[in-house]
Amino acid sequence: MTTLPDPIGPKPAHPATEFMRAFARNQSAIIGLMLLAIVLGTTFLGPFLYPVDAYSMVDLPFAPPGGDYAPLGTDYLGRDMLAGIIEGGRATLAVGAAAAVISVVIGILVGSFAGFFGGAIDALLMKVTEFFQILPTLLLAMVLVTIFGASLVTITLAIGAVSWPQVARLARAEFMRIRKLDYVAAARTSGARNGYLIFRVILPAALPPLIVAAGLAVGAAILFEAGLSFLGLGDPNTMSWGLIIGQNRNYLLDAWWTVTLPGVAIFITVLAISLVGDGINDALNPKLRRR
Amino acid sequence: MPRLVKKLASAIGLLLAVVVLNFLLIQLAPGDPVSVIVGEMGGASEDLIAQMRAEYGLDKPVWLQLLIYIGKICTGDFGFSYYFKQPVLDLILQRLPATILLVITALITAVILGTLMGIFSARKPKGVLSHFVTIFSLVGYAAPVFWTGLMLLIVFASIFPIFPVSGMMNVRGNATWYGAVFDVLHHLVLPAVTLASIYVATYSRLSRASMLDVLGSDYIRTARAKGLSERRVVFGHALRNGLIPVVTMIGLQFGQLFAGAVLVETVFNWPGLGRLAYESILRRDYPTLLGILFFSAILVMVANILTDLAYGKIDPRIGGRRRKKARPAGARP
Amino acid sequence: MKHLRSSTLAAAVALTLSGLFAPAQADTLVVGTTQVPRHFNGAIQSGIATFMASAQIFASPLRYDANWTPQPYLAKSWEVADDGLSVTLHLVEGATFHDGVPITSEDVKFSIMTIKANHPFQTMLAPVEDVETPDPLTAVIKLSKPHPALLLAMSPALMPIIPEHIYGEGDIQQNPANLAPVGSGPFKFVEYKQGEYYKLAKNEHFFLDGLPKMDEVIVQIIGDSANLVLATERGDIDMVPFLSGVRDVQRLEKAENVEVSDAGYDAVGALNWIAFNTKKAPFDNPAVRQAIGYATNKDFILQRLLGGVAKDSTGPITGTSPLATEDVEKYAFDLDKAKALLDEAGLTPDADGIRLRATIDYIPGMAEIGRNVVEYMRTQLKQVGIELEVRTAPDFPTWAQRISNYDFDMTEDSVYNWGDPVIGVDRTYISSNIRKGVIWSNTQQYSNAKVDELLAAAAIETDQTKRAALYKEFQQIVVADAPILYINEVPFYTAYKKGLTHLPDTIWGAVSPWDEVEWSK
Repeated sequence: MTTLPDPIGPKPAHPATEFMRAFARNQSAIIGLMLLAIVLGTTFLGPFLYPVDAYSMVDLPFAPPGGDYAPLGTDYLGRDMLAGIIEGGRATLAVGAAAAVISVVIGILVGSFAGFFGGAIDALLMKVTEFFQILPTLLLAMVLVTIFGASLVTITLAIGAVSWPQVARLARAEFMRIRKLDYVAAARTSGARNGYLIFRVILPAALPPLIVAAGLAVGAAILFEAGLSFLGLGDPNTMSWGLIIGQNRNYLLDAWWTVTLPGVAIFITVLAISLVGDGINDALNPKLRRR
Repeated sequence: MPRLVKKLASAIGLLLAVVVLNFLLIQLAPGDPVSVIVGEMGGASEDLIAQMRAEYGLDKPVWLQLLIYIGKICTGDFGFSYYFKQPVLDLILQRLPATILLVITALITAVILGTLMGIFSARKPKGVLSHFVTIFSLVGYAAPVFWTGLMLLIVFASIFPIFPVSGMMNVRGNATWYGAVFDVLHHLVLPAVTLASIYVATYSRLSRASMLDVLGSDYIRTARAKGLSERRVVFGHALRNGLIPVVTMIGLQFGQLFAGAVLVETVFNWPGLGRLAYESILRRDYPTLLGILFFSAILVMVANILTDLAYGKIDPRIGGRRRKKARPAGARP
Repeated sequence: MKHLRSSTLAAAVALTLSGLFAPAQADTLVVGTTQVPRHFNGAIQSGIATFMASAQIFASPLRYDANWTPQPYLAKSWEVADDGLSVTLHLVEGATFHDGVPITSEDVKFSIMTIKANHPFQTMLAPVEDVETPDPLTAVIKLSKPHPALLLAMSPALMPIIPEHIYGEGDIQQNPANLAPVGSGPFKFVEYKQGEYYKLAKNEHFFLDGLPKMDEVIVQIIGDSANLVLATERGDIDMVPFLSGVRDVQRLEKAENVEVSDAGYDAVGALNWIAFNTKKAPFDNPAVRQAIGYATNKDFILQRLLGGVAKDSTGPITGTSPLATEDVEKYAFDLDKAKALLDEAGLTPDADGIRLRATIDYIPGMAEIGRNVVEYMRTQLKQVGIELEVRTAPDFPTWAQRISNYDFDMTEDSVYNWGDPVIGVDRTYISSNIRKGVIWSNTQQYSNAKVDELLAAAAIETDQTKRAALYKEFQQIVVADAPILYINEVPFYTAYKKGLTHLPDTIWGAVSPWDEVEWSK
């Protein structure tokens, strides 16, 4: 996420080193990066360091943290919370990443065409975007999940399908700005086709803010999945942070850890993503860097 | 105002699209509303089931149902709730005030808090305090909103029973009108703070970025050079322009705010449209759900139009639609 | 949750705030429920939400005590004819509806015929042919065959007497009085704030002298049970009927100013079980179903998962019913026996040790008695080589569609007795009730000629002892055949504030009148 594609053409560019230096000066971004490393490390190395089956009973239901069998306590079925959080992290991050990719791809397609062509195409595509934006995203996703069933795949698709309009607007704005730049005009006069202009000339230059948006979309999708699970529309057969919260929410009063811990995990992950995203954004912002 | 007329025409087109798409989408859902009603009744005979299907028009082909529905909407008839046997309009109007109260309060809270935080950190963007403010504003954004709500509920309604647990009003009644007003406000605090917590980050970040832009601009330098106090520079000159993207965002985010209300209303048992929508999905109460989607679309459109108007007021130089490059916070439930 | 932890500051703030509101009146009863009523007319709508309200607003011919004995209510006395073909009701004198109109036998006739035509429980009044009204205070119910279930069918929840002058016009399903009911029960309807609460006020002219005790009843609807529990702990709510979450019960048992009781609710007879699709191989083989019974450690479910809060269930008729028998196969936990039965059925383990793969469903929203039990079954049945896949439905309609169209192997299900077996038990087992698309019909597709015969005979047997004998044989056959594995009775408790007395503890629990509930002075 911190690597930038080489800028093409005579667009005023930020050299990568200057970017890195700006990013490194930003304490909260560094904190975010460290948190992100912890989350990814726990999720992907966790199964090797803590090889406990997240789906089997290890102790009585609702054993509090610090017990002999489960360091972070057990859930309503006596399953290990720590193992659950490690196991659930993979599904949560996968849903987040996949949904973000879907929303960014749709968003870039819609936004780039609208911004590049302008006119009637722009008007039509923006109408579609507006249509999706006036519907409450969560309600629409709930309807989709209810219709197509609550599996990890449908949840991911539903989240992606309702979250792209903001990316589309951003992409459109970038495309409108960049397409007027000299180097694009130069490429156009040299006979480049529209497809080439869109994906090879303009997109790379428009990418940095879109990458930041994609990163933030991961965080948003994680929160989205948690919300659906809380309402009982999560995939019951795959452990995810949202699902742990959703399934244990009725016991919050008695077993705080069952809801609090996965909530903290989501919180740390989304916070880390946001801090890193902010850091990248600030480092990309020349005005801020100059000060 | 031809622009407004054009806007209205396109709004009506959009609404029609909302109705058609949602209507067709809902037809795909497995199970039908009659099975829910039968379920809650503890079973029923085929005769009764067929009778209910006929009563709700579910025995007709889908396209005919759609046409009938659109025809009815044009006359302001949103049909009868399958579940509650009440006109959908009545149900929605009963619930609408609660949601509007919640959403508006949360919005105002978020905008004021967020803007203040943004201005604060824009003035000294590298300071330790600025980072602290940034992280603090992110707390609400990064935590799932229902989780924030549950935590607030536990702390402020159970451990320290300062605020009520659920609902909008003490059902035992209030002796006086000011008692009633205070009672509602008392019930409003936790849900509104919870809902606002998501958006504080958005507004603080936006106003920070835009204030940084504005504070670096020439006319502010001029103002500073004239020897105006820093406070007058910030609040008198910079804020007016710094607020433009914030106002744009309010319009854009209204729909999301309503979506967040679904979760907050569920946690706090707030008697609003969001919870009704959620329950209507579970009950397959299509007329109610369609009505709510329709109304929320109208709400968002009205908000967008108001935003547009406010936009012109704040920045008379721009009559058109200058779109501030605002980094999206992503779609949020 | 004890509030001793609260700081003095918090307590002071709370005190100041509560001082601003109207003080709770001593004779107001605030009832908390998660159930949302569609409307209040129990003559055409079943379900706890409507029954609870309907039993307060409408009076019925009879009511019941805690021992299944009928008591006079709107009928001061009644006689069943020797041939069992008619039942005569003598109404109390001077009883009026809430609008002041006297109640006559014509209203009784109208109500009974309306219920027969509209109520979801079709078997309840099926044998009723006519109601004769020789005089305004006498109603004679004419039956085509003896119908002993009629007495329980005359309970407050099931037979509200509705005024003909209000409900007699037009389509009763669309009658606006369904949402603004007029009855003759202890409480009058005041208002319904959809999704928030409904209010009832004392019926000053109630035909039972000195009742009801409360001036006002407010039923607050709180969708989430955790919020309901929290509100009850804080004392915001005076009474919570039909409390069924295991954790909720245990938590409120520990609360300082709250009492919890499981008295009442016997006649509701809410059974929770695992049902098999008996037409689908290998579950068409009783041995496979029995094997699963033996492989299930019910003791673990009852004690560990359900915390000892739920009662054991061993057969199709709720345990305390005078018609229930204990003398049935209990499926004591025995893994070896289970394996032997599976071997016998030809289901031998494959290379991975798996004999059988199957799916199991549960009613969505049923956390403890549904999802948890099913999850346990999945873990447990692995031990005998049965690999279960838990299928979750996002909501009730999805589940109901699967089950009622026989698209399932096994499912958790909760089905209620609703008083007499004819009303709520027969439907699950009679082969003529195998009706595709109808949930809570015989969705197991169980068919046994002997069972059909026994149930038909028991339905018209007026001699209580002979009737019980017929049902005993029925229960033994059905439990042995195992189309259903009985797990537990759905726990129904009433939580109430200390100082509240005469709670509804009859066989109908809170779906009977709350006329005697009062604050101890």
